[in-house]
Amino acid sequence: MTARAWGWVRHLRAGGTTPWAQWPEGPEGDAEPAGRVIPGAQQLELLRRLNQVGAPGPELATRVLEASAPGRGRPDLELVGAAHDSRFGARPVDPGDLSEDELVRVATLLLAEDLVALGPVPRRPDAVPRPWRRRYRLVGDPLLSDPVRRELIARGHGPRPGGVIVVLGTDLPTMLADFWTARCFAFGQGSLGLGAQGLGAHGVPSWPEWLESWRARQGVPTRIDLPGVARTWVQRRGSRQHVHVLTDPGQRPDVRELLGVRRLPAPVRPSAEAAELARRLSMALGLMVTPARRELLLTEGLMPRLPSTELSALSGPAGSSSATGSAAPPVVPDEHRDWVRQRGERMSRRLVRAGYAELPIGPGLEDGSSEADPSGGSGGSGDVLSLAMRMLLGDWKGPLEGKPVKW
Amino acid sequence: MVSRKRVLVHVGTPKTGTSHLQDVLFRNRAVLADHGICYPAERFDSHFLAALDLMKLNWGGLELEAVGAWDALAEQVRAWPGTSIVSHEILATASRMQVDRALSTLTGDGPTDAGDVEVHVVLSVRDLVRQIPAEWQENVKHRSAISYARFLETITDPERDSRIGTWFWGVQEIPDIVNRWAATLPPERVHLVTVPAPGAPRDELWHRFSQAFGLDGIDLDLTPERANPSLGVPETALLRRVNRKFAPRVDPADYRPLVRELLAHQTLSRRRRSDRLTLPPALHTWAQEVSGTWIEEIRTRGYDVVGDLDDLLGPPPPETWSDPDAPAEAEVAGAAVDAIGALLIEAARLREVEGRLTHELAETRAALDRSYLRPTYRLREKAVHALEHSGVGRGLLALYRRARGRSSRSA
Repeated sequence: MTARAWGWVRHLRAGGTTPWAQWPEGPEGDAEPAGRVIPGAQQLELLRRLNQVGAPGPELATRVLEASAPGRGRPDLELVGAAHDSRFGARPVDPGDLSEDELVRVATLLLAEDLVALGPVPRRPDAVPRPWRRRYRLVGDPLLSDPVRRELIARGHGPRPGGVIVVLGTDLPTMLADFWTARCFAFGQGSLGLGAQGLGAHGVPSWPEWLESWRARQGVPTRIDLPGVARTWVQRRGSRQHVHVLTDPGQRPDVRELLGVRRLPAPVRPSAEAAELARRLSMALGLMVTPARRELLLTEGLMPRLPSTELSALSGPAGSSSATGSAAPPVVPDEHRDWVRQRGERMSRRLVRAGYAELPIGPGLEDGSSEADPSGGSGGSGDVLSLAMRMLLGDWKGPLEGKPVKW
Repeated sequence: MVSRKRVLVHVGTPKTGTSHLQDVLFRNRAVLADHGICYPAERFDSHFLAALDLMKLNWGGLELEAVGAWDALAEQVRAWPGTSIVSHEILATASRMQVDRALSTLTGDGPTDAGDVEVHVVLSVRDLVRQIPAEWQENVKHRSAISYARFLETITDPERDSRIGTWFWGVQEIPDIVNRWAATLPPERVHLVTVPAPGAPRDELWHRFSQAFGLDGIDLDLTPERANPSLGVPETALLRRVNRKFAPRVDPADYRPLVRELLAHQTLSRRRRSDRLTLPPALHTWAQEVSGTWIEEIRTRGYDVVGDLDDLLGPPPPETWSDPDAPAEAEVAGAAVDAIGALLIEAARLREVEGRLTHELAETRAALDRSYLRPTYRLREKAVHALEHSGVGRGLLALYRRARGRSSRSA
């Protein structure tokens, strides 16, 4: 029966799309061995799917067939009907029955290799810091504040102590989604300062698991606990008047004035699928490069290369993003809506008591509303696989010279 | 006669004395090298890191240190003219493709018998009756809150498609491991080392390892320095309860030193008088039947067995069985008191460290604040320092201070 398996391997290498279950038995479907080991069912099925949506070419086909799925999980499985010894080991499978999650596992290793080879998108050197720049600190929601700070540093307007503290935020569901997305892309080592948020070096949990961990902790990540952030900075600066909490997307002119700049970069919010893919990629990258390099590759290698359909211009809450593509950020699933709303309301009351504006409730959390999708808005495996395959086929490898790094 | 170059690859299984074996090999590298045997390792866990790299496994952050480790190990093996030993138990789960890569890189070409290189696969094995509770305990020591009953249900599920089931059978099913690692090797190059039955002399397992690896006659330091100590029933039950309540709130990076090392290995494993974990009597027959099919298969294939294949049947069921899902609460409380004591002592130590760091931080922050002051301040500071080095300068400073109307000397 292995001759039939080798026949199918040859068919797939030639760009074929026939499923294993329909592959003919007998001389018509047989072939001589083309290697020492028949590739696993996951690898073969991923190649078949790639053949369905594009032309992977011989080099990518070989890489797919020789890849191992990173991390723990089901081993490389044998094909039903062509197993070496089916009495022992994992049960052989029909590749058509494999979950898309299994195929994503294989794809992430290849994408991680691509990303390591591509490296970060080159960007112009940072300008010399302007001595006359405004003294400020920019903190809060990582998707709202980090890209702005990064761009201002590049322009020579980096933060320095002793001035105003600008705390950027939005409704709690969006900030939770932003924080998780930021973790997926930056892994929380260094610049985001998120290492103590219960996620460590073990990888970022999936969106539902991550929310569950925060429900158990009965808190929110320090960085998006806006009243806590404001209180800390009031204590450090010694006065409430220096600390500004801005939670309304219409306050961008205020932000410009506080920071002393004429224009602000327009950051983007990746889709839930892109964040989920980045999360998986970060685990695979962890097997290849140092944490600092991994962070750089995710933020300045992957992020700017994402297909534009996976990004939406970001000006405030997730629900109010002016989308440039069909990108939808993670949505709080039904089972988490109550605690997120209660914690958001509590946060809003604390902000008002401290003399700041109240916090919006957030999309999908109004009484009686329900926006949750079956995947918890965290990027279902099918969508993630589709994105991964598009990228494997080269959707992200075009020339990027001159394209600004958005993060 | 010219002796052929040999590579002995020890691929498992877990909980078969592998930590002790690897410790002995690591500490005696120089002696072994004198006898023509290479154990290529710069640190104790070098082969673990290499296995993580080969199999693309994440392991609580350790994989960060594993980048390129397999190729580095293979390069040393290829460069050694005599016998080389590679050993780690997680290699048992390697896929066929990974095995192909492993053996190709170790030998430099073909997977099994390239040129003058002779590949041997060594597998140390223990009965399922003892392996099953040991594997559950390992899960608990790695943050799992799964009950013993649920664990048993998972691994006895014939589908074996859960994460736990996949891993368990991947590292325990002897014929499958050999299928993946040694499908093309002649049976005399596959060596199964059985772990002796309970009650055997303490050094019996080492004698078997020594025979399998060809170490007899070499004067090795066998002092036990590393082991993976076991916990009793109440201690494991306590740890599982801790996991259930707190594991989601503790970083893996904190869990490893605080829970696995401090609580499990350094504190709870010292309570040796509590009941030991064993397989429920109801599963003995099933476990022995599974082992029986493996024994039959191994005999049929004609592998080199070091020890007794009947050791794989395991000990008989205990007369009384202690259920870790319903432990004696007084014993759990005793274990909890020991755990609290250990954590108190550790907390006191960390408070001391915190106090020292707080002091250092305050000093650093003050220095930082000074450095952020206006540039003219630093200019004046430099000027004052320069002036204070000469008599004329000191005179000018005194004049200036009198003119300003204050007498402080410090800038």
